[in-house]
Amino acid sequence: MTTLSTRPTAGLRTSGTRAWLSRPSGGWRQSAANKAFLLPAIAVFVFLFIIPLGQTLWWSFTDFTGYSPEAAFVGLANYRVIVTDPSMLAGLAFTLLFGVGTTLLITLLAIPLAVQLNKAFRGRNLVRSIWFFPAIPSMAILGLVWRYILSPLESGALNTVLGKVGLGPVSWLSDPTLARLSVILVGVWAATGWHAVLYTAYLQSIPQEYYEVARIDGATPRQQFFGITLPLLTPAIVISTFLLMTGGLKVFDLPYTLTTGGPGFSTYTITQSIVVSGVGQGRYGLASALAVMFTLAVAALSFGQLWLTRLVEKRFA
Amino acid sequence: MTVPAWRRAALSVAMILLACLIAVPLYYVVVNTFKTQGEMVASPLSLPTSPVLDNYREVLSDPRMYRSFANTLYVTVVSVVLQLLVGALAAYAMVVRTSRLNRILANLLLIGFVVPGQSTLIPLYRTLVGFELVDTLNGLVVMYLGGAIFCYFLVQGYMRTLPFEVIEAARIDGAHDWQIFWHVVLPLIKPILVTVGIFQSMWVWNDFLLPTVFISSPDKRTVVLQVYNAVTEFTTNWPMFMTVSVIALVPMIIFFVATQRHIASGLLAGSVKG
Repeated sequence: MTTLSTRPTAGLRTSGTRAWLSRPSGGWRQSAANKAFLLPAIAVFVFLFIIPLGQTLWWSFTDFTGYSPEAAFVGLANYRVIVTDPSMLAGLAFTLLFGVGTTLLITLLAIPLAVQLNKAFRGRNLVRSIWFFPAIPSMAILGLVWRYILSPLESGALNTVLGKVGLGPVSWLSDPTLARLSVILVGVWAATGWHAVLYTAYLQSIPQEYYEVARIDGATPRQQFFGITLPLLTPAIVISTFLLMTGGLKVFDLPYTLTTGGPGFSTYTITQSIVVSGVGQGRYGLASALAVMFTLAVAALSFGQLWLTRLVEKRFA
Repeated sequence: MTVPAWRRAALSVAMILLACLIAVPLYYVVVNTFKTQGEMVASPLSLPTSPVLDNYREVLSDPRMYRSFANTLYVTVVSVVLQLLVGALAAYAMVVRTSRLNRILANLLLIGFVVPGQSTLIPLYRTLVGFELVDTLNGLVVMYLGGAIFCYFLVQGYMRTLPFEVIEAARIDGAHDWQIFWHVVLPLIKPILVTVGIFQSMWVWNDFLLPTVFISSPDKRTVVLQVYNAVTEFTTNWPMFMTVSVIALVPMIIFFVATQRHIASGLLAGSVKG
């Protein structure tokens, strides 16, 4: 699933300079072999990241359309268009709402769920698998399935159930507010179990003695949760919210398949904007400007969040 | 300190009920594949009165379904193998030799790790048009190669925890870099390759953004695109759409059951901070 893919932070440690073999034994030939090993990765990096990033940045200041080979420098005109274009602003707004909303809701649900899943009870493995399962299939397919469930027609499953108890039919996907809510809730449904499993992995590393000592001292379960469990889960919260936030901002599949961005532009996303204006309409300059803004926003949010959580982490450590 | 039996039972009941609620959408999809269109409209959530297999018969006799599976399998296998190879080679080179140049490069590569795919999509689309790789499976493979940087970061993190005396010994025995990499390093890093390979396979197999942008010919569709197009194709025939979805999900379920253990340990390995 692309929205909540695993981009864990283990890789972020690049400076572990335990130099077992750093001394240049073997001379130039070994150095050449070393460079040859790096070559494919450098090629990937240059051709799939550096050059296109440069192009995106340059095009964002031009009126490049792709139809004519000439591109004139237009300064910040594209950026000015974005901040006045209703569809792009709507995409920006909903993407942020989705990112923040899913991160908050999933975190609030996944931690208590993880605590329960960590206790011994009959059928635990099955329950855990069921919660985890929605993380396996493509979000696009899940979005389509939910489109049928939330369908305004009477054969929509949810409206059928509501109809049986005398409610309804609710226009889940055609009312702007309900459509936004539906997309976010389906996102929460799909990812809560995955993040709960992440939290249980950390819960299992908390020594049971802490709880025993706390009980002997007369701590209530509530006090144990806030005094022991939550502080010791901080590293997991850092990672989980980081993945949720960055994944949430990149969201595309789910709104696109569930509502195609509608009604109107109420569930439009930045990614959909980039694809539609760039690939669809050939407005490269405009799409590039949007991509630049998006990249800066993702970078700022990611680093800001990392910095904030490190701060919190230090306090608890 | 034992929990009373009744509380344990209550927890069990509560958790199973909650899980059933979560599973309703999955039940809804599967149960309706065994119904006719009329029955689904009349009672979307009940069990089929007399299960029909016609939907499956029809979907499974559609050659496009098999075609899309073959396409997805090709793209996933080729791109994930290449990603792992490129990533592991770079990781080995970086870990073995910490020259100044390599350190600078390691920091540069972070760009590839944090930059969202959306920011390079438009230029890469144009480039692939130029190379006539748009609307081809190999074009998708090229796009997914970007994941090699992610593989590199995870593999090098794992490599730094390994006992490198083995490599030293191999080198003293006169083995070349390539021999060492192939016969010594690759077997050692197999656990992380499996974990990263699983995550990258799930990403490529499930991806919707790149196929929907790059693929337009019906015979080059991936499975996810095939399902997406089934919606417009079977506008009113919902059971047919559900059947296409279920068949598309079957390989993922098999994959999930087979790799569940690795996914759980991978969550830990990938997320326990370094």
